[in-house]
Amino acid sequence: MTADRATLAVDDLRVRYVGRAEQALDGVSLVVGPGEMVGVAGRTRAGKSTLALVAAGFIPRVIRARLEGRVTLDGLSVPTATAAQLGGRVGIVFSTPANQLSTSKLTVRDELAFGLENLAIPRSDMDRRIDDVLDRLGIAHLADREPLALSGGEQQRVAIASILAMGTGLLVLDEPAAELDPVGATAVADILADLSAAGTATLVAEHLVGILGRATRVAVLDRGHVAVEGPPGQALGSAAIGPIGLHPPTLVALAEAAGLPATAAFDETRIADALSSSTNAPPTTPAAGRRQMPLAWEAVRDEPPTTIEVRALVHRYPTGIDAVRGVTLSIAAGESIAIVGQNGSGKTTLVKHLNGLLRPSSGDVRLGGRTIAGRPVHEIARTVGLVFQHPDDQIFNRTVEREVAFGPRQLGVGQPSLDLLVERAIAAVGLDGERITNPYDLGSSERKLVTLASVLATEPAIMILDEPTNGQDGPGLDRVGAIVDGWTAAGRTVVAITHDMEFAAAHFGRIVVMRGGEIVADGPPDRILGPDLRDVLTSTGLIAPPAARIAARLGLPGVPRDADELLARLRRHRGTRDGAVRT
Amino acid sequence: MSSTATGYYRAGASWLHRRNPTTKLLALFWIILATFLLPPASLVVIAAAIGAAAATASLLRPLLRSLRIPLVLLASIVVVNALFFPEGRDVLFAFGPVAVTREGLTFGLVSAGRIGIIFLASLLFLFTTLADDLLEALVARGVSSRLAFVVLSAVQMVPRLQARAYAILDAQQARGLPIAGSLRTRVRALVPLIGPILLGSLIDVRERTLALEARSFGARPRRTAYRIVADPPVDRWLRVGVIVGLVAVVAVAVGGVGR
Repeated sequence: MTADRATLAVDDLRVRYVGRAEQALDGVSLVVGPGEMVGVAGRTRAGKSTLALVAAGFIPRVIRARLEGRVTLDGLSVPTATAAQLGGRVGIVFSTPANQLSTSKLTVRDELAFGLENLAIPRSDMDRRIDDVLDRLGIAHLADREPLALSGGEQQRVAIASILAMGTGLLVLDEPAAELDPVGATAVADILADLSAAGTATLVAEHLVGILGRATRVAVLDRGHVAVEGPPGQALGSAAIGPIGLHPPTLVALAEAAGLPATAAFDETRIADALSSSTNAPPTTPAAGRRQMPLAWEAVRDEPPTTIEVRALVHRYPTGIDAVRGVTLSIAAGESIAIVGQNGSGKTTLVKHLNGLLRPSSGDVRLGGRTIAGRPVHEIARTVGLVFQHPDDQIFNRTVEREVAFGPRQLGVGQPSLDLLVERAIAAVGLDGERITNPYDLGSSERKLVTLASVLATEPAIMILDEPTNGQDGPGLDRVGAIVDGWTAAGRTVVAITHDMEFAAAHFGRIVVMRGGEIVADGPPDRILGPDLRDVLTSTGLIAPPAARIAARLGLPGVPRDADELLARLRRHRGTRDGAVRT
Repeated sequence: MSSTATGYYRAGASWLHRRNPTTKLLALFWIILATFLLPPASLVVIAAAIGAAAATASLLRPLLRSLRIPLVLLASIVVVNALFFPEGRDVLFAFGPVAVTREGLTFGLVSAGRIGIIFLASLLFLFTTLADDLLEALVARGVSSRLAFVVLSAVQMVPRLQARAYAILDAQQARGLPIAGSLRTRVRALVPLIGPILLGSLIDVRERTLALEARSFGARPRRTAYRIVADPPVDRWLRVGVIVGLVAVVAVAVGGVGR
C-alpha cells in the first residue's frame, strides 16, 4: 500500500496574531517528510496550535495573522496557496471529535465521500477510494455506522480517514487525543504510527506521551521557537525539557535513571531489565523533587465536611437505556476518589446524581445522612460543587474575576469573604496575572482552569471534577493535583472522573472502576492498579500507569505513584533482600 | 437527545418521505404564500390538507403534539388582538373597561392560524426530509454548496442549541444558580444561559468551519455527488403543479387587490 507522499518544509517562520504584541511563533524551522511522524510538544501557549494551523494552510488565509518566513509543501508556498490548491494535499484534525465531521451524514461511508465530492472526484472512483482508506485504517467495520453515534476515538479515526481519502500526503493534527479515553487515544496513536510508517507525512501537536512516544521525532516548542528537536526519548528527556518547566514522562525519567540511551526511553522491557540488573538502584531521577506542595486553603465559608452515600442507584434514560445499573458507593469526608472507565461506562451520569442534576430512576443519594430527593440543585450547590468537562458551556463573564465570583455570589457570600474566595481560587489555578482578562482571550486549557476556580471559589465540602486534566500541560497538571491534595488535606472530599491513570494514582486515595454502568472494582490504588486486578482493568480498556507497570515487571510490592517512588521502593526492596542474605 | 445528523427527521417510507426535497420545499413555499395571500377561509382547507398529509404518513400524532411549542404564542396573539385590536368596533362582550371585539377576535384567529399552519407545514417538511438529502438536492439544482450548507446549518441549529442550552443550565445550577420559580428568577437565569450559548457557539462554529475547510468544502466551483437523491417522474409533475399553483395564488391575490 503506497500513500500519497509529501514533504513540508518550514523555514524561519514567524507569526504574530492581529492585535497581539508578542509573537506566537518566533523563528521556527522544521521539516516533515514522507514516513515521518513529527510530534510537537511544549507548554500551553508555546505555539503548537499556531504551527499546526500554518502547516495546514489556515494562517493567514482563514485566521488573520502577520506571517514571515517560508512554509512549503513540495515546493508550493502554503501561506499563499488557495483552498483549491491545498485541498487533497494537506488536511487537519482538531481535538473535539464531533466537530471534525460534517454533521449531516448518516453513514461513515457518506462522511468519507464528503471530501471527495468537494474535490469533484468522479462518482465512479469514490467507492474504491473509500474502501481503500477504510482498509488502511482498519475501520471497515464502521463503514455503515452513523458518524455522530460513534465513540470519540472512533470519530477521530473517521476524521483522519476522511482527510486521507482525499489523497492527502500531509496529515496535521492539533491535540487529536485530548478528549479521548485511553482506548481511543491508543487507537489513534496506533493509526498515526502505521500511517507514517506507510509514508504519510504526519505533524501532530500533543501533550500526551502515548502519542508523542510513537513519533519518529519530537520538536519541543518554547515561547515560539524550537527549544529542542530529536527522537522522543531525547527531546522529552530532563536535559531537554527541564529548563522550560516541563517534566520528563515517567518512562523517560526511569530510562535516564537506569542509564539507558534515548532510543530505549519507551521500551518497558529494557527499562525493567536495566533497573533489575543494576547493582545500585539510582538514588533519584534527574527530575526528582518536582512534586508541588498541596494547596493550602483556610476555610472562609462555614460549610463543614460531610459524607455522601449512593444507594442502589439506577438511572434509566428515556430511550430505555440504563446508564447506571445499581451503584452503591459510600464516601467519607476527606476522601479522594478517582472514577475511571471507558467513555459510556456511566461515570458522568453517576456524578450528575451527586448534586441532583439527574434524579435516580430508583435508589437514593444521601448527603450527610439526609436524602437529596426534592432538594433543588442550586441549594445542593452550597455543599457539592461540580466542574464540567467543557468550559465553554458555562463561561459568560467579561473578566476571569467576575466569572469566578459568579458562584459564591449565587450562594449569597458577601464582602469581604467574596473577594478573599475569588483571589484565592484564581491564585490556586495560577491565573493571578489574568484576573481582568476576558476568559475567551485565554486558551481552552486555561478556560478550563477558570471553571475550576469558579467552583473552588464556592468552597464546596464535596468537589466533583469531570476530566480536570484534559488539555493541561505539566504545570497545569501539577496545579490540579495540588488542589486535589489540598482539598482532601483540609478534610473535604474530591471525586474526579479521569482518563489519566497516572494522575489518579498520584493524587487519589481510592479508585473506582466502572464498566457498563456498574462498579467493577473499588479500592486503594495499590490494589486497583496492582497485578491482582490487572485483568479487571484490562477488561475496561484501561492499563496501569507506567511506574506501576515497571514495578510489576520488577516484582516490587505495591504501586508506586511516580518514577521516584518506584526507585525508592526498589532501594528499600534491595536493602531488605541484601540484609536477608547477609544474616 | 436526538442526533443532529437526523435532526427532526422521522425515519419512514411513506409517499411524503419519498418525495424529492425540492418538491417538498416548493410545496412549503406555496403554503406559506397561500396562507397570506388567499382569503382567510382557505386557512381551514390548508390546515385540513396538512393534517391529511400527515395522517397518511402516520405523523399526525407527533405533529399535533408538537403544537404545544407555539401554543402560548398563538393563544396570546388571539387574546391580545381580541381585546386590544385598534379598529375593533363590534363588541361581543365586555369585562369592565376591556372588551372583546369581533374584528379583533377575527384578526387574532386569522393571524394565529397563519403562524400555526406555517409551523405545522415546516415541521412536516423536517419530519419527512433528511437534512443531507436537502443539501444534495439543492446542490443538484445548481444552488451554491455554501448557500445550501447555510440552509442545512439552519435546519440543524435548533436541536444543537437545545442540547447546548441543557448543558449550560446544568453547569450554572451546579454553581448555585436557581433556574426555576418566579418570573424574576427565570429572567435572572437568562444572562448566564445566553452568554455561553452565543460565545460557545462561535467557538464551535470556528472549529467546524476549519474542519469543513480541511475537507475542501467550497474550494472548487463544481462538486460531485456520492449519494443520488431520488427524483421520480411524479415529482417533476408535482413540481409543475405546485408552480402553477404559485402563479394561481399570486394571480388571485393581485386580482383580489384590483377588485
